[in-house]
Amino acid sequence: MSVEALGSPTLEAAPVGRSHVLRRLMRDKVAATATVVLTLVVLAAIFAPVLAPYDPYFTDLTIVMQPPSAEHWFGTDNTGRDILSRVIYGTRNTLMLGLVGVLIGGLFGGFLGILAAFYPRLDGWIMRLVDVMLAFPAILIGLAVAAIFGAGLAAVVIALVVATVPDVARVARGAAVGVMGQEFMEAGRAVGVSDTTLIWRYLTLNCISTIFVFLTLRFGQIILIGSALGFLGMGAQPPTAELGMMAAQGRDFLFMAPHIATIPSLAIFVIVLAANLLGDALRDVLDPRLQQ
Amino acid sequence: MIKALLSVAFALGVAGSASAQTLNMMKGIDAPHYDAQRTSWGPTSDIVNMIQDTLVALDWDGRTPIPYLAKSWTVSPDGKLYTFKLRDDVTFCSGKKMTAEDVIFTFKRLKSPETKGPFAWRAGNIKDLRAPDPYTVEYELAEPFSELLLQLTMFTNAILNKDNVEALGKDYGVKGADGTGPWCLDSWQPRTNITLKRHDAYKWGSSMYKNKGPVKFEKMVIKIVPEDSSRVAAMMAGQFDTTHQFPTQFIAQAKVAPMLTVTEAKPNFQLLYFGFKTTRPMVADKRVREAMSIAIDRAAIARAILLGNADPAFTIVDPAALDHDPRTAGIVKQDVERARKLLDEAGWKPGVDGIREKDGVKLAPRVYYTANANSARVAEAIQGYLRKIGVHWNLQPWDSTIASVKMAEQDYEIWSVTVPYLSAGDLMNIYFDSANIPTPNRMNWKDAETDNWLKQGRAALTPEDRTKFYAMVQQKVMTEHLWMPVLNINMHEVTNKKLKGMRPHMIYQNTFYKGLDAGL
Repeated sequence: MSVEALGSPTLEAAPVGRSHVLRRLMRDKVAATATVVLTLVVLAAIFAPVLAPYDPYFTDLTIVMQPPSAEHWFGTDNTGRDILSRVIYGTRNTLMLGLVGVLIGGLFGGFLGILAAFYPRLDGWIMRLVDVMLAFPAILIGLAVAAIFGAGLAAVVIALVVATVPDVARVARGAAVGVMGQEFMEAGRAVGVSDTTLIWRYLTLNCISTIFVFLTLRFGQIILIGSALGFLGMGAQPPTAELGMMAAQGRDFLFMAPHIATIPSLAIFVIVLAANLLGDALRDVLDPRLQQ
Repeated sequence: MIKALLSVAFALGVAGSASAQTLNMMKGIDAPHYDAQRTSWGPTSDIVNMIQDTLVALDWDGRTPIPYLAKSWTVSPDGKLYTFKLRDDVTFCSGKKMTAEDVIFTFKRLKSPETKGPFAWRAGNIKDLRAPDPYTVEYELAEPFSELLLQLTMFTNAILNKDNVEALGKDYGVKGADGTGPWCLDSWQPRTNITLKRHDAYKWGSSMYKNKGPVKFEKMVIKIVPEDSSRVAAMMAGQFDTTHQFPTQFIAQAKVAPMLTVTEAKPNFQLLYFGFKTTRPMVADKRVREAMSIAIDRAAIARAILLGNADPAFTIVDPAALDHDPRTAGIVKQDVERARKLLDEAGWKPGVDGIREKDGVKLAPRVYYTANANSARVAEAIQGYLRKIGVHWNLQPWDSTIASVKMAEQDYEIWSVTVPYLSAGDLMNIYFDSANIPTPNRMNWKDAETDNWLKQGRAALTPEDRTKFYAMVQQKVMTEHLWMPVLNINMHEVTNKKLKGMRPHMIYQNTFYKGLDAGL
């Protein structure tokens, strides 16, 4: 999918109200299921301290690698910790990583893209910068940051932000260039509206839905990259639970206790799938051209 | 599922059996070069032990030096002059005869400041090297070194071909490395494979091997397979004949695999410990260090984390090692209540989140280690134990390429290393002498008594004196809780069943050592 293909909504587009969006989402069974799953996941993450049956950090070396049972629904890991509790807490950290990556990356990327569209003299510079950023794979950036400053959530966040910024910048620029050609922009300039107001009230607000749809699509990928970095040991460090790291820890015990790696991996799969399906559905609902 | 996997692996193994003329070995990590004098790096040492020889070899008991390139030796009463009689039938792979000139060149190069040899100290404080005749070397020390013969068994003291080193210059160890070992370096593709060929003239195997040479294979191909699971699968599938780097968590599977034999190196001195940087305020108080050391269940960690492939370590020196002091046995004993009491006495009180605090600072030391499987899992298990007494270990793994640099810095409290060693003196002279601050004496332990006893142990003229002084050092460093000994890691050689005569050696994690008895 080309990031430019999302196009730009304009003021001529049909208004899309919140209730209308929800109604259309709920009509699509796949989207509705994804919404429900993602809502449950988010709620589990928010209420982790209440829902987790055990302390996710409590180790007990007398019950290591136990398979799922009535006592430990998802079994225990190689230090005797309850995997269900760690998956719940791990989901919280994994979602947070995705959210922070998408928000910060979206903010910077959106800002750069809109600036590039508004100030043609900056366009070339910003887009070349974006090209340079696109040349670095997120995993490589994460590895480099972790090697220099040490593994940790900061390394992952930096990698995720760097991975998000260029794509968002291109999408935002594409959307903003479309809006720039509208008559109300020229009218605004003619009556002496300041650049700041033009950028914020006229340009940004008209590009936000495009950027938002792109970010929802990007969310699943960001979670996947974050989990991959966690899997490589560059992310959260013990005892913090993070799904990618948990899957990596279980990798060494695949022969003896396959549940240690497979359960967090399944959790990543479910979250990413739900996020992607929901992102697709939101695009269908919010993209005015698809509506037409 | 495991049975099914093993069956498939066995079937593959039969299909892919190795050539009778080639021994296929696998290891997890390659070395940056094969110049033994310029490194302390384990992955260099195992290859060097195959292609080069030392004046004396280390017998299977891990403590007795036996004749090798030197067929005999005498020591002067003052312990300063060693006279080695060399074998006169030894040749390098290039065909050149080994003489006293090569031996003298070897040790002069090792001691040269240009070489920057991290293990140069293992050759003692050399005053002079002389060759009264081509097969006699007079090795004169400035001061006695009680463990010289033991240290001369180390790969770093392997005898080099003077002509070869001079011809290759800075490329020595990269483009080639001639030696008198049972195997000759044929080719090396970094991080991919190393090919050795048989040294046909070799016939000077030490008394520890039945076969005095040459080796029973024409060629050995050593492949680098970094991923643990890949090494397991490759051994199970019969793609390789042997490896000494089989992941510990899969040893149980290897033991029941129909095509594999697992042999444990015994004795084996390989300590996994956590050291405390005594100059850091958080762990400057020995009560804090002791509390951490006695709050953990070492036996449970050995059983659950290393799956029984390690023994709990309560002393820094293994009881079977030379000069171990048995009186250090009771100093570290699990006692969680005492651990809590010690922390209370040291002024660390539990905070609202259960983690102890003092003067607004949380008891959360930074713990550095190389991100290999054993250290990481053991650190995590200890972290779990220490949370129960209100200590939070802030774990910071480092990639192996950068770990040694990071550990040489001063902004952390605790580190972990797994260290192979030969004897009490070997271990303690490296780590506890103040001359070795900031690394490997990362504790920044500067104590006149320790330095003096180490010096007296090194200079001892009798085994009794050496044992006495090294025992005093052990008492001191154990009661100060400078280290937290955790596990003695077992070492295994995993081989295809068709391969016979594979007895693993304990020296510096080089289980294959010379491999003279290996055959089909």
